Amino acid sequence: MRNVWITLVILTLFAFLVGWLKLVNSLFVFILLVTTFIKGQLVSEYFMGLKNVTLKYRMIPTIWLFIVLSSIAIAYYLPISN
Amino acid sequence: MTTKSIPKEALPPGDFAIWIIIYVELITFAALFIGYAFARRADVELFNQSQLLLDQRSGFINTLILITSSYFVVKAIQVIKTIDNEKASILSSRWLLAAIALGSSFIVIKIIEFSDKFEQGINLSTNTFFMFYILLTAFHFMHVLLGLVILYAVYKKTKMGGYNRHDYRGMETGASYWHLVDLLWIVLFPLVYIMR
Repeated sequence: MRNVWITLVILTLFAFLVGWLKLVNSLFVFILLVTTFIKGQLVSEYFMGLKNVTLKYRMIPTIWLFIVLSSIAIAYYLPISN
Repeated sequence: MTTKSIPKEALPPGDFAIWIIIYVELITFAALFIGYAFARRADVELFNQSQLLLDQRSGFINTLILITSSYFVVKAIQVIKTIDNEKASILSSRWLLAAIALGSSFIVIKIIEFSDKFEQGINLSTNTFFMFYILLTAFHFMHVLLGLVILYAVYKKTKMGGYNRHDYRGMETGASYWHLVDLLWIVLFPLVYIMR
């Protein structure tokens, strides 16, 4: 479980550095969304303990993360018409 | 050759009622997160400029705080589940107390951040970005407060020996809510503080 915590810390540090060093661009937005998905999955699977639960309950946070992060991706990548 | 598999639990940990609340919270925050992302499209420049006024360091520290606090709660449950003596309650309550201390420091940092913004004359009416920023973070802030109240109640009961290896469902119920608070912030932090 300590490895999960360390992974979460590293991914959080990565997100902070991307922002702090002003590296945010289209590619990094995508990477940030993917790392956020991974972090969310780690929390739901290991911290919330859904790893050992039947698939239907296990999938709810996964589907939630996918819908939310995909929608954010669409909002960021869809061309804006003036 | 046969492979051993761990039997799956039929329901998520803790009382199922807390999971109904968790699902409702997830839907509510999903609407706010997606609303923020699409509202940004109306004036990307305004959102990018306003975001520069946020303190990314406090957002980063608060993320570390919630992640670590969640980890401590996991440790508290692990102790109760695996150790079968009186020391388990003491050790577990210490993990919970550490988690509460971290959660409280999140509150302090957030209050400082809010005070700073209000001193700058920023409020809900300043612009669309700050409307979402205050709405999202203040709403989440209230969830942290509620989570702390729940954790404190779990801590008190744990300290008094109210949970043991065979009965820790109440502890899992409180923990599940606290992890939700963590999960929501994990999405909120990059969305509002970092992505532009």
